[in-house]
Amino acid sequence: MTPGWLLLIAGGGLVAGIFSARKSPRVWLATTLAGAIAALAAAAGMLASGAIWDWQPGFVIGGEAVHLQLDGISAFFLILLAVLGGAGTLYSSEYWPDTAHPASAPSGRAWWNGLLLNMGGVLLCANGLHFLIAWEIFTVCAYFLITRERQRPEARAAGWLYLASSHVAMVFLFAFFALLAARTGSWELGPMRDHPELAPLFWLALAGFGLKAGIFPLHIWLPSAHANAPSHVSAILSGMAIKMGIYGLVRFTGWMPAPHSAGWVVAALGAISAVLGVAFALGQHDLKRLLAYHSVENIGIILIGLGFAMIAAAHGNATWGHLALAGALLHVWNHGLFKALLFLGAGSVLHATGTREMSRLGGLWRAMPWTASLFALGATAIAGLPPLNGFVSEWLVYLGLFDAVSAHGPASFAAILAAVALGMTGALALACFVKVCGVVFLGRPRAEIAEHVHECGWRMRWPMLALGTACVTIGLAPILFWPALATAAATWQPAPAPILPPVSLVTLGAFHLALAALVILAAVFLWRRVQHNGVTRAGTWDCGYAAPTPRMQYTAGSFAGIITGWFDWILRPQRHAHLPKEAMRARADFAEHTPETVLERFVEPAGLLAIQVSTAVRRLQHGRVQSYIFYLLLGLAALAILAVTGGSK
Amino acid sequence: MSGAMNLLIGLAMGFSLVALASSRLPSVIRAAALQGMVLGMLPLLLEEKFHWLVVAVAIGTITVKGFIIPNLLRRALRAANIDREVEPLLGFVPSLLLGAAAIIGAAALGSELPLRPEHAKTLLVPGAFATVVCGFILLMARAKAISQVCGYLILENGIYLFGLLLINSTPLLVEAGILLDLTVAVFVIGIIVDRIQREFDTLDTRKLTSLRE
Repeated sequence: MTPGWLLLIAGGGLVAGIFSARKSPRVWLATTLAGAIAALAAAAGMLASGAIWDWQPGFVIGGEAVHLQLDGISAFFLILLAVLGGAGTLYSSEYWPDTAHPASAPSGRAWWNGLLLNMGGVLLCANGLHFLIAWEIFTVCAYFLITRERQRPEARAAGWLYLASSHVAMVFLFAFFALLAARTGSWELGPMRDHPELAPLFWLALAGFGLKAGIFPLHIWLPSAHANAPSHVSAILSGMAIKMGIYGLVRFTGWMPAPHSAGWVVAALGAISAVLGVAFALGQHDLKRLLAYHSVENIGIILIGLGFAMIAAAHGNATWGHLALAGALLHVWNHGLFKALLFLGAGSVLHATGTREMSRLGGLWRAMPWTASLFALGATAIAGLPPLNGFVSEWLVYLGLFDAVSAHGPASFAAILAAVALGMTGALALACFVKVCGVVFLGRPRAEIAEHVHECGWRMRWPMLALGTACVTIGLAPILFWPALATAAATWQPAPAPILPPVSLVTLGAFHLALAALVILAAVFLWRRVQHNGVTRAGTWDCGYAAPTPRMQYTAGSFAGIITGWFDWILRPQRHAHLPKEAMRARADFAEHTPETVLERFVEPAGLLAIQVSTAVRRLQHGRVQSYIFYLLLGLAALAILAVTGGSK
Repeated sequence: MSGAMNLLIGLAMGFSLVALASSRLPSVIRAAALQGMVLGMLPLLLEEKFHWLVVAVAIGTITVKGFIIPNLLRRALRAANIDREVEPLLGFVPSLLLGAAAIIGAAALGSELPLRPEHAKTLLVPGAFATVVCGFILLMARAKAISQVCGYLILENGIYLFGLLLINSTPLLVEAGILLDLTVAVFVIGIIVDRIQREFDTLDTRKLTSLRE
């Protein structure tokens, strides 16, 4: 089947899903999954063949002729969308069922399909106006999905913050596309690298797409939205919606000339986002909020790769740029896969315990072995440990950076700094996920809710299994995915020579295979030892204490305390402590909360100031006609003065 | 010729001051009407030779400004049964001083402007400025709707004076259109005055603040 037909099936399936969402969840599930599979097939086919599917049916929407295009980059992102969309669809059928949420589940299914459909639309549209329309609809759909639990004030606040910042981003995008259309004379999108006068527009695109992508310090909407949305929505938001911002940046840096400093700025923003994202994550005690900050971190890693690719392109298409770009693109996939896996795992924990507070969880491994294992797999991947996919993409970025250093070009010093930042990020991410897995799954339950939990059902397990398998596959056989990366990278900016895989990619795959085999062997050996010798189970943390209680365990805050101490200058944690000063003191307490510093220290004061100023200005509107006439006269006088002084020039 | 014209414009400026100084609504209306009639005569003096178009404009202006509009206003005054006091937001003496300052300023401004020689000798431009500013002062400094209408009329008279500079090039239709607009505006304001009276039991426009959102 041609890609056109497959995409038609995909779109048709999603639209049919919207119509069946209210009445029949089964039909919705079937049509939406079919749509996702068709989209996956179309995108994979295009990526494998390296061709471009271009469709101009000749009808008009909003005064502009419809023009859809599926090229290497859009196919690359469409695959991720299809995978995550399918996984989330299946997951939500158990996670957010009609029985538990009679009011919000049916409409939520319709919004979900609207979200998927319009994100696909953004990827396919080759017309600026239609791009904006699809972008706006998917933004609004996401708002309704974030506020599924609108009886909770935090969910409403998160939705409002998301909507407000999305529309600030929308203003930038409107300006960007309108100026682009004004300067090129048409809304049609396509390569326009020979228009150097378009370069300054890049900053508008960076602001608009960057807000969506959650670049630090534009990430203010991201933690609360991801934390308060239902988990399958968090997965698609973190896995795909913020990648739409990356898609926009990749797309338009490839199509348009960029200002000279653009690559440096993007790389610097990437490094800042990566390090500070993980620092903020370490300070969180809310499982999903923590994962949300890791999205900021991973967006940072992607931007480091993209930034260095842009620097390379500005300096005559150096080969290390292609490596960095390939790493960034692969990290788009990888982050989408493992972050969705982690959010689905967190959703499974939330589903079982009803809380996201890590200080109330603990010891879930025994009751939820599947969730715990898959979450641990995702954690290993996101921490960038071999033999999983996170290591592959970060390693490609590292390769690019190292080659940039050894090329002794203008970027070599910056590449050293970026590599250091990347290494620090990886270490901190590892610490953070040791904390998460240790606190949530190991030890003993810290509260009663964590004692009587149940494993999730198969419809929640399958999507996690699928995502986990994808993570393992990319990790073990990275060379299989190189053609897709090469196609997407060549679509970004045509390379003078075909983009060859780095020789060590095969070696890396072999190393990963060997490592995995070793791990399996060790596991089998241990299992046989356990079977043979028998095992006695004792209480966790039973080592020598007479009467251990769960309260003696490390908390999330205490585990990360030293590291968050390094970042106190930006995290600004609020601590309330009554520490015991004498021996045998009866009462002592300690509470710590890490606020969203950028939001609370900068955006909120600025917003308050704006409100104060506008309230003051509003006093001018008091309804007294006489004073209005006076304003008119003042305005006339000002105009007259302007005309007189301006006329003298 | 320009002596007679300057006399008429001077009279018109005087009526502006009278309107500013009057403490009763009927006299404000009368001042505005007389000013309109005085200005209506100006086109006859402005043109050297007799022309039916100019006569038509003059007669139309005098009829509408001198009789129809004042009658509409008096009828509104009667129908709404308002007491005849003007309620000044700014006292009469300060208003008068402002008006006088406006006239002096307008004269100063008029001598500075690069006018055509045939207009430079007349008071047309300073008179127009002074009348417009006096209209604005009346609009801003009085509370009752009717006195505001009078301010509006005086303002319009000032604009009309400006228009006289271009009498040769302004078609009759434009003149007629302006007059019709003015009449309809005053008519509508008459209705509004009635409505304000019914709703708020007063014509004090300060009460309109309760209408803001």
